[in-house]
Order: sequence, then C-alpha cells, then structure tokens
Amino acid sequence: MNLTAFTWLEATLLLPLIGAATVAFIKLPAAAARWSLGVMLAMFAAAVATSVAFFSAPGSAQLRMGAFKADDLAAPMLPVLAILHLLTLLGTSKFYLTPMFCVRMLVSASATMAAVTCQSDAGLISLMVLLALLPVWGLKSLDRSVRGYLFYAVPFIILLLLGWTFARDGSPVWAIGLLLLAIKLCGGIAPLHGWLPTLFQRAGFGTAILFVLPLIEMVAALRLLLPHAPEWMLHATSVACLFTAVYAAGMAVVQNEARRFYAFLALSQTSMVMFAVMSHTVTSLTAALCLWISIILSMAGLGFSLRALESRFGSLSLREHHGHYEQAPGLAIGFLIAGLASVGFPGTIGFVPMELLISGSAQQGLGYSVTLALAAMFNGIAIMRAYFALFTGKRPTTSVSLQITPPERVGIVMIALLVFVGGWFSPAVVTSRHRVADELLQRRQVAPPPLALDVVRR
Amino acid sequence: MPDQDRLLTTLGLLIVAAPFALLAVFFAAFLGQRRMEEQTIGRLIQGAIYVSLVAALGAAAIMLAHHLPHFTIELGDWVIAPNYHLKFQFVLDLLSLSYVTLALGLCAIIAAFSTRYLHREPGYNRFFLLFAVFLMGMVTAALSDTVETLFAGWEMVGLSSVLLIAFFQERPAPPRNGLRVWIVYRVCDAALMLAAILMHEINGEGDFDRLVGEHAWPQHDPLLIGPHFALLGVLFIIAAAGKSALIPFSGWLPRAMEGPTPSSAVFYGALSVHLGVFLLLRISPVLDSAPWLSALVVVLGLTTATFGYLAGRVQTDIKSALAFASLTQVGIIIAEIGFGLRYFALIHMLGHACLRTLQFIRAPSLLHDHHQLENAIGVRPRAEQPQWEQRLPARVQRWLYRFSLERGYLDSLLERFIARPFMILFTRFDCWERRWANLLEGRKAPEVTEIVDEPL
Repeated sequence: MNLTAFTWLEATLLLPLIGAATVAFIKLPAAAARWSLGVMLAMFAAAVATSVAFFSAPGSAQLRMGAFKADDLAAPMLPVLAILHLLTLLGTSKFYLTPMFCVRMLVSASATMAAVTCQSDAGLISLMVLLALLPVWGLKSLDRSVRGYLFYAVPFIILLLLGWTFARDGSPVWAIGLLLLAIKLCGGIAPLHGWLPTLFQRAGFGTAILFVLPLIEMVAALRLLLPHAPEWMLHATSVACLFTAVYAAGMAVVQNEARRFYAFLALSQTSMVMFAVMSHTVTSLTAALCLWISIILSMAGLGFSLRALESRFGSLSLREHHGHYEQAPGLAIGFLIAGLASVGFPGTIGFVPMELLISGSAQQGLGYSVTLALAAMFNGIAIMRAYFALFTGKRPTTSVSLQITPPERVGIVMIALLVFVGGWFSPAVVTSRHRVADELLQRRQVAPPPLALDVVRR
Repeated sequence: MPDQDRLLTTLGLLIVAAPFALLAVFFAAFLGQRRMEEQTIGRLIQGAIYVSLVAALGAAAIMLAHHLPHFTIELGDWVIAPNYHLKFQFVLDLLSLSYVTLALGLCAIIAAFSTRYLHREPGYNRFFLLFAVFLMGMVTAALSDTVETLFAGWEMVGLSSVLLIAFFQERPAPPRNGLRVWIVYRVCDAALMLAAILMHEINGEGDFDRLVGEHAWPQHDPLLIGPHFALLGVLFIIAAAGKSALIPFSGWLPRAMEGPTPSSAVFYGALSVHLGVFLLLRISPVLDSAPWLSALVVVLGLTTATFGYLAGRVQTDIKSALAFASLTQVGIIIAEIGFGLRYFALIHMLGHACLRTLQFIRAPSLLHDHHQLENAIGVRPRAEQPQWEQRLPARVQRWLYRFSLERGYLDSLLERFIARPFMILFTRFDCWERRWANLLEGRKAPEVTEIVDEPL
C-alpha cells in the first residue's frame, strides 16, 4: 500500500474539526462521547499514517496542505499529540463528558496539531492565541472565575502580537524580547508561572493538561525566536528555565493536593525542555526534541491515572494515605510507571532523553548538570511521595465496585506499552531528532559563543 | 578461539536474558490481565534464576579452564550523538562473576524460601514481581562494564527495594520508611549520574575499560591522576555511601527492615547493601588516584563500622540488630578497600553476604527457639557486657548508650539541617504563591498552608 498517495495530513487536521462540528449538534452526552472517541481514533490513525508516510517519502507533496506541512519537526509529534488527546478523552469520567467538552477537546486537538505543522508565522501566532483562549471556554463552562487566568492570557496575547509585528522587519532586540517574554509567560517560566497551578486547580484537569502538555510555546521558540535571538538573551532565559525546573520540582515535593502536585511536576518537566531549547547546542536541542515526546507521553499517562482516581474519589489530598491500590491496582501501576518514565527511569521512554539532556548540559558547565540532576531528584521524590500517599494505607470500604472500566483498561495498556516499548525506539528517535536539531541551528543567524568546556580545554 | 568467545558471549547474555524474559512474562500477564497462580510464579522465578546461575557457573568454568581473566560482551552502541555516547556492555571477570554468582545463589535460596513463607499472602504476586525487578537489576549491575549499564541496574535495585519496604502497605509506617529510603537512594542516584557525566567528559564514553585500562580486575593503568579523577572518586563514594548505608546515610538501614523477612535478608543483609561495596571495588583504581581518597574511604568505613557496632549493641529487635551487624561488617569491608586489600574485601563480602542471609532467614525460628529455651529454664539468659565497656566511666557509658539508642542522631541531624529547612522554605513559597493567585482572582481570604511537623 502506498501511504503517500493519500492526503493524510488533511485527514489529521480536518477530521477533528469535522468531528467537533458534528458533535456540537448532538444532545446526548453518551452519543457525543462515542462520536468523539471514533473521531479521535480516526485522527490517531491518520496521524500515524502521516508520520509513516513522511519517513518513507519525506518530500511528498501529499504531506502539505497550504501553510501546513508535516516536516521533520512535526511528523513524529502528530501521533504523540493524538495519543495525548486520546488518553485525555479515555480518562474523562462520564459525568464531565458533555458534548461541549468533547467539542472543545476536538478543537484543541486540531489546533494543537495545526500549530505544530504550521509553516507560516502568522498562522502559528493565530493558533497560539486560539489555544490560549480555549481554557477560558473551559473555565466558563464550569462557572469558574476567569479573572486570574486572563491576567496571564491577555498580556501573553498582547506581547505575542506586538513581538511578532515588530520582530519581522530587521528583528530589533526589544521586539525579540517581547516575543521571548510572551513565550516565557506561556511556558510558565518563573516568576511568570503563577497562572499554571491555578489553572490546574480551577479549570477541568483535562482542559489544563491539553493546554500545558503540548508545549506549543516550544514550536514558537524554535520557529520564531531561535533564528534571531541574541546569545545573552537565550543564555539568561536558559538560566531562568533551569531555576524554574528546580523550583517547581521542590514545590512538587511539598504539595498536599494532587492537582497542584501534578501542575508543579509538569512545570518542572516543561522547564527542562525549555532550558534545553534555550541552551541551543546540538546535543541540548536534540535532548529537548526527544524530551518533548517523552514528557508528553509520560505526563499524559500520569494525568490519566490521577484523573481516573479523581473520578472515583473526588479531589485527592496527599496529606494522608488513601490505600487505593487494593481497589485499582492497574491505576497504581500506571501512575508509577508513567511517573518514573517522566523522571528518566532506566528502561522507560524517558531514560535516554534525560541522560542526553543532563550530559549535554555539561558542555555549558558542570553546574548546569548538577542543577538538572537536582531537579530530577526532587521530581523522583515527589512522584514516590504521591504514589505512597494515594495508593498505600488502609483501604476504604465501599459498597460499589471501583475497579477500572474498559476504556481505562485500554488507557493503562497504552501507557504501559508506550513507556516500555517506546524506550526501545530511543536510538531511532535520537538520530532523527539530531538531524532536526542540526537543521534548526543552521537557520540561526547569530554565531554561538564558545562552550565552557571548550574554553577549559584550550 | 572464536568458538570459545561465542560460547562466553552466549552464556554471558543468557545470565541477563533469563531475568529479562521473566520480567517480560510478568509484563505480558499484566497487559493480558492474567492472574498467575502461586505455583506458576514460583516455577518461573526459580527457572529463571537456575538458568542464569548455570550460565554464570559455565562461563566461570570456561574462563578458569582457558586462564581467561577478562572477557567483554559488547551489545553495540545504543545511542550515538555528538558529545554523547550510550553503550550497553557487560564484562565477565573475577569481580563480576563472583558477585553475580553470589546474587543468583542467594536469590535462588530466598525464592525457594519465599514461595513457602509468603504462601497465600495477599501481596504474593507483587512480591515476586518486585523480586524479579530486583534480580534483573542486580544481574545487570554486577555484569556492567559501562557506567550506564551499572546505572540501569542500580536504579532497578533501588526501586524494587523501596517498594518491598512498603510491602505491608496497609500500615502507615512501611510506606513512610520506604519514602525515606527512596530519598537517600535518589541522592546517591544523582551522584552516580553525575559521575557518569564526568566519565563521559574525561573519556568521551562511560566504559570502565576506558577509565582504568583493559586489564583484569583489580589491575589498572597507573596513570589516573588529576582533579577530574578525584572528583569522580568523591561522586562514586557518595553513591556507594547511600546504597551501602554508610555514614551519614546509615539511618535508612533499620527502617528498611519493615519489609517481609525474605526481602530484608536478600536486600539489606546480603546483596543490596553490598552494591556500594561492589561499586567501590569496580572503580577501585580511581580511589588510588589520590591518597586522600583512599584515606577518606578508610575513615568512612571505620566510622561506619564503629557506629554500626554501637547502635547494634542496644537494639531490641532481632532484624534491627542484624541490620546494624551487617553495617559493621560493610564498614570494615569498605575500610579494607581503602587500604587497598581488594581480594580480601571481595572474599569478606562474599562470606558476609552468605552468613547474613542465613541469619536473617533463621531469625523468626531462632526467636521461637529462644522463647522455648527461656520457658524451659524459667529465666532469661543474661547477656555478658564486654570487658572494655565496663572499664569506661559511668558518664561515658550513659552517653554512649544514649548515642547508640538515638542511632547517632543521624536521622535527627539530617531532618533538622536538611529536610526541615527545605520543607519550611518551599511551604513558605507555596503559601506566597497561593496568596498571589488569590489576589489575582480577587478572593479575600488567602489560604495558609501549615508547615508540617513530619518532613516528607
């Protein structure tokens, strides 16, 4: 079968939009959920086909749709983002699975994948603005205050638009600075991170996950910022990202609410990815691109387990031991393997990217490696603490069965396969991401400074 | 000669492949939602261990017959990128084959013991799954020839140990103690990871052969001099200190006794606690790079041994007493490594692991016998106080007693100077962040998070 002969990219981007338009007219939540699941599965299949078609015939014209193109950067990300959305749908309890939630999720899937494949700056900016506004819709649908979130979203949109408008001609430093500030706001780089834990607490867990985990700001950083930003600016941002990674990891250790724990853990992980982007060496950029994939998958798995637990027991406190292992051992195993994969446990999908990141950072100085190792250490402690709090202890007696449901079972099997089997494909992923990193650095118009270790060696 | 190499490669890979296949079976059962019978699990575990053990003994016999002191099994480069090279490689030599044979022999005994000891226990499957992870980790670490391979095994051993400490998870104490041990393990894992990075910076790769030369252990190239090697040595010592419960990390060892007796026996009496010793033996040439490094190892070992002896003297339960007795011996073995007595340390480690395993698994029935003896004679036999203790002034005796009872105040010191300041600092940050979020949202009463008394 010739995979390149079909317009897979169109199918990937348009299927969720058509699905959203259809689901919007469905009144029954169960029917809307079934439709959405069908569309998501079709979208996932199309995304996998796009990726396979790209790697079998990279230059094919079928992988282009106007300003959207499945290039080396985007092709492997499409299935990953489809899995994130699929897992989020599977992990949503029936109570929250309203037709409007399904519409929002399908729109988010289409917009996220469009942003990753978008080759036009204006298109990317528009999609980022759209994605930033989706949580407002989510908050409104739950009758929650949007004020706190708007304090972030409005400056972000203004800075993004201003930065993009002025950075086009001749790229003045202050315009790039505005763009960088917008990206830092979107990535929650300290001290601009206050909105992120609040979003996880106030909005739906799924809504927050779908906004934070795809790391669309990374696409903006790679496409808009990296080619023009001066060295000092990137260096200063990389230090801020590193600080955020350690700070958020430390915060994750002391949290007593599961959602805030997850928010800070996600922040720490995404900051590590942003640190690697801002370091802009070949190794660090390769690590960033590999980590991007592994963090989305592992954090999606962790979020899936937490959401499945929340749907049974309500908001989860980490102050006491709940003993949920006996009722849902599958969720306990899913939580543990996804959590360990996110901190780079050997044999999992996160191992090689994390090793690559920490090793790569040594080029800038051993202090960077030590700090990253510290962040990974805190994250590991936070995950085990949360695991013990949620799954060990005296089990509560219930009159109804709290065993996992068939969709949850599918989700856990997916997580386990992705985490362990995905680890076996690390060499191929590293090779392909290294090529992309090389290409991205070639586009850079500012000469890099000598590396710290090179100076020492001379 | 090529036939012999092929045979050794096959046997070496078989040692690792059997535990790996065992884990794959557990994984497939999890994916297929199949609950395995106790008998099936027992047979699978013992089958995997025996296959590995026979392969290890076969490899040792071939190497002895052909006077081959060192054989490397290369699995090829896993990941190659500029400035990064990840390679999985195993080595068959005196140290690795001794340790892997010890590990497999003791695991075989403990597996046979556990199938009966944990019969009809609710967590039977969980125990053996974790036991399989431990076995895989131990075999990988023992045969490792690159620091990445060692790190992979090291982490698997740590994870399985911690989850087995929390095996009786309905009670609050085991998970709490498991978390404490995990924290110490994460610190030593971070040190090992940094050591791996430094090895890459020095040699461009993480092979032990490249670091110390392609000689049979414990010989090495004489030129391992420079500040890099000293720093590398310190990082390895920190990693080993965490894993082997040396001072100042000794506090976790008695806490680890919360797990079931078979796991305590094989982990903290025999294998896991000696993994730090194994690491120092493997990288012992690095310790020779600076005399102060060797001196540091000697001081660390002797201090730990003294501490283990004193704390062990006042323990009131048999598992804790055995744990501190283990610590004393581990301290002495570490000191022997520092003195350069590598063969002696290896033999001491092998003997000690076997003896301690026997003592641990005999402990429950020994207590039973002891109670029967007390009932028969009608009085409790008096323990004799050593002569040197009686010669000490009463004040010193009292101080020593208190010091030992409080386990050298190590836990309190770590808690007071590291854990508590950390918790206070980050809880304060959390409090400020909540206030800031409430301010933005226009909420009136900011939530104040209380600072917990029990860190972590």
